[in-house]
Amino acid sequence: MKKGNHQAYLFIAPFVIVFLIFNIYPIFLTFYYSLTDYTGMGGIENARFIGVDNYIRLFSDRYFYQAFFNTIRIWGFNFIVQMLIALGLALLFSDIRLKLKGVGLFRALFYLPNIITIASVALLFSILLDWNHGGLNQMLLSLGFIDRPINWLNSPAYAQSAVALIGAWMWFGNSFIVLLAGISGISKDFYEAALIDGANWWQSFKFITIPQLKPILLYVLITSIIGGLQIFDLPMLLTDGNGSPQGALNTMVLYLYNQAFKYNNFGYGATIAYGLFFITVIFSAITFRTMYRKQV
Amino acid sequence: MKNFVSILTLIGVLFILSACSEDEPDLIVTSFTDELQEPIEYFEQLHDVKVDLQIIPTENYVNTLRPALESGSGAPDVFTGEIVYLKDWIEQDYWENLSQEPYNVDEWRDDYMEYVWDLGINSNGEVRAVSWQTTPGGIYYRRSIAQEVLGTDDPEQIGQMFSTMEGLMEVGENMKQHNYRLFPDEGSIAPYTNGANPQPWVNENDELVMTEERLAYFDYAKELREKQYTALAPAWSPAWYASFTGPISYNVGWDEIDEDADQSDQTEVFAVSLPTWGLHSVLKEEAQETAGDWAVTNGPTPYFQGGTWIGMYKDSENKDLAFEFIKMLVNDQEFLTEWVMETGDVLSYYPVMEEVAADYADEFLGGQNHYDFFIERAEEIDASTVTRYDQQIDELFGTQVGAYVEGNLTKEEAIEEFYSQVVNAYPNIVVPE
Amino acid sequence: MNKMKLARFIIYTFLILLVVICFIPFYMMIINATRSNSEILRGFSLIPGDALKANYQTLTSYMDVWVGFRNSLMVAVSVTILNAYFSALTAFALVVYDFKWKNVIFITFIVMMMVPGQLGLIGLYDLSETLGILDTYWPLIIPAIAAPFTVFFFRQFLITTMPISILEAGRIDGASEIHMFHRIVLPILLPAIATMGIFTFIGSWNNYLVPLVIIRSPRLYTLPVMMGALSGSPVAMNLGAMYLGIAISVVPIMIAFLFLSKYIISSITAGSIKG
Repeated sequence: MKKGNHQAYLFIAPFVIVFLIFNIYPIFLTFYYSLTDYTGMGGIENARFIGVDNYIRLFSDRYFYQAFFNTIRIWGFNFIVQMLIALGLALLFSDIRLKLKGVGLFRALFYLPNIITIASVALLFSILLDWNHGGLNQMLLSLGFIDRPINWLNSPAYAQSAVALIGAWMWFGNSFIVLLAGISGISKDFYEAALIDGANWWQSFKFITIPQLKPILLYVLITSIIGGLQIFDLPMLLTDGNGSPQGALNTMVLYLYNQAFKYNNFGYGATIAYGLFFITVIFSAITFRTMYRKQV
Repeated sequence: MKNFVSILTLIGVLFILSACSEDEPDLIVTSFTDELQEPIEYFEQLHDVKVDLQIIPTENYVNTLRPALESGSGAPDVFTGEIVYLKDWIEQDYWENLSQEPYNVDEWRDDYMEYVWDLGINSNGEVRAVSWQTTPGGIYYRRSIAQEVLGTDDPEQIGQMFSTMEGLMEVGENMKQHNYRLFPDEGSIAPYTNGANPQPWVNENDELVMTEERLAYFDYAKELREKQYTALAPAWSPAWYASFTGPISYNVGWDEIDEDADQSDQTEVFAVSLPTWGLHSVLKEEAQETAGDWAVTNGPTPYFQGGTWIGMYKDSENKDLAFEFIKMLVNDQEFLTEWVMETGDVLSYYPVMEEVAADYADEFLGGQNHYDFFIERAEEIDASTVTRYDQQIDELFGTQVGAYVEGNLTKEEAIEEFYSQVVNAYPNIVVPE
Repeated sequence: MNKMKLARFIIYTFLILLVVICFIPFYMMIINATRSNSEILRGFSLIPGDALKANYQTLTSYMDVWVGFRNSLMVAVSVTILNAYFSALTAFALVVYDFKWKNVIFITFIVMMMVPGQLGLIGLYDLSETLGILDTYWPLIIPAIAAPFTVFFFRQFLITTMPISILEAGRIDGASEIHMFHRIVLPILLPAIATMGIFTFIGSWNNYLVPLVIIRSPRLYTLPVMMGALSGSPVAMNLGAMYLGIAISVVPIMIAFLFLSKYIISSITAGSIKG
């Protein structure tokens, strides 16, 4: 174990150097910016140090709250739909009595939207959902489901649902695969014992599947929160990039981007980044605690 | 698996190599439209050089180009600037001072429209950027529809009808009776609201200037929408472009207009507000089917929109060639005459304009001499109202007017929201109470 | 048993319906890519048109989507390779050797895995400007060398699968440490490298925000940035060309996926269980 210790430094050197320069330093730099009114122009040395003013502004900024609640709403709706489909499918495919065939094929087909550039998907839906000439309205009209086109992207509720559902459509395949793997990993002995004890399907689902699946569910939930809080590509490209309609698609990262790179408020943009970070930590911590509270 | 990785490595290496081996251009020009493509080809043949045109879309232009100009890495040799951030840029040390030796462009001064020339001069009196165009706006309309509905297609007479807002609305009603629509969208009326009393968006005290005339845009836009004088084709959307060539579908997505369900679900658009460059970069490009059926006339007030200035980067390594290019573009009689004949662009360079405008008939405009019209209009341009906030504030304003027109907000709410968004984007700006 | 058959029939119908719903957007995209703007404006169709070539010409006269494709591939492949190699090297050092700060580094990883990438975005932008590497691929590629999550994953994998005795044997034979890393450790790590490689590749391929901030020259645009620029470009006036541009960004990847799907999905399964 002790041999070659000096080489260990050599082996971790690239990682540590790059890590310090490209991860740690920008994070500290961003923090410093968040204490200034830096505009990205004329160098940071000319920016004014304003202490926690930006953070005070953040706490009373209704656009930030708007962005926060929009993000949570979109993520929440997305997560519920995505999990219902994914869990339903995982249960179907893992059912010992049904013995469904073609798992491999369906897994591949459902997973496919995952690998497609989100920007392409957003652009595709921005023209498919166009109210006057979009494919969706045209299809619904010609099938007779609606008699007048619906202006999907002009209604906050529809637009947020659209983002949530497009997200669910893209990512349910991934959750499905992960959950199916988790369920397949649960020992069959549990279910057989439950069957002998006369447990019905719901009882074995509630008392065996869910508890056994907890680590996987936690994994899915945490990755989904971290990803969901960072949603950017879809709301940015689905409408005008300013959060239209009526600010409904103004998400936290979109707000960060616009403040920093559109309006050149680098300092305040940096503050939003830290706001987002603390929210992510709090959410992950809450999830972690709720999931494990019972066992401790 | 091992093969898979090594194949990927190989592909990666090949790509990196292929990216490196591209041959270097002699001159790099950066702009926000493809407008310079043809001048560049002309220039390439003339001097036997290779020029690269990099196009950065308007909405990213400032933010993507500025870092390169400040750091110098990846900066182009020649780059253009839009009127809205021109004032900001001539004060920065981005463009080379063209007043100095060996360029001495001050000698050209008398040949140009005054406002165009003056906009390129910074506070030290140095010319940093120059422009070949002038950009007054007007209303382009379809002659055949004018003839059918209004009984004339004469720009003078139509201009009479368009000379007041009321007159415009009257024509709108007339058009609607014949199942035509006055404008593709409500935005076409925006120039004439602020145009009635031109004020900068932000004054020298960093105060947002809201005028009665600007507020009137809310009402006029709503009126246009409610009376169905527009075809619901938002500017720059595919439907907007399509509206210049023939009927477009008009399946109204709104409940309020339900009673008129018996009307045809197709409609044709009569007119659109566009500045000079709209003729060659929009209409001539996208409305070839209706060539010859167009004419241009005045709206209720004068206005101007956009304008491209050009200069060379201060640390360019190809300054001689860069200046040759700029010189050709703004001061070369032969080239500009050819350019004008081909595009119909309106120049700020008198020598060519005087020669051409004397006897000119644009085929696309049914033989109209639009230079007469536009040069006169250009005299009325007051560029002092341009501020660097215009692009973003116009966008924020337009969004809120849209929300009001769509019925999502009341006028008061929309104005309130507009103020609040302006402050949010630019904390230094003071908005009216 | 008949009841079972009926249930299975209903379930299969439902699954096929789900697949159809999943693919309708792609189908509409491909159909519309072959139709002209005026055809698309006029209405919806299930039958391809004949404007594919014209659309392609319109599209490529403004934007070469294939260049975006090449750029994205170049970045994603470089990121994947650097990420795999240096993470493996770091994980190897963490598992095999004892050294000062080892625990500090390890704990830093765990913390950093929680940090969203946007946190340092503004700093990264300014750092790149200072270093003069704005508008190059370096700020997109180099950070891949330091990927805490991948190192963490490789470390767990090595602890469970690599017997230290192999290295001891190697040392007795006089092999150098780096040689052993290449000859022994990397092959052992291959399944883990494949799993993380797929995640890294997809992540880089889809990355929109960082290149949007860093890259400004159109010839360097990655595919997502190019897609974003497409909607503000003159192409947007022609819906057929627009659909075609999106289709070009999507279809080759779909085809590649269908060939590799079996492999990719088993890797994802493995990754999620161990991670």
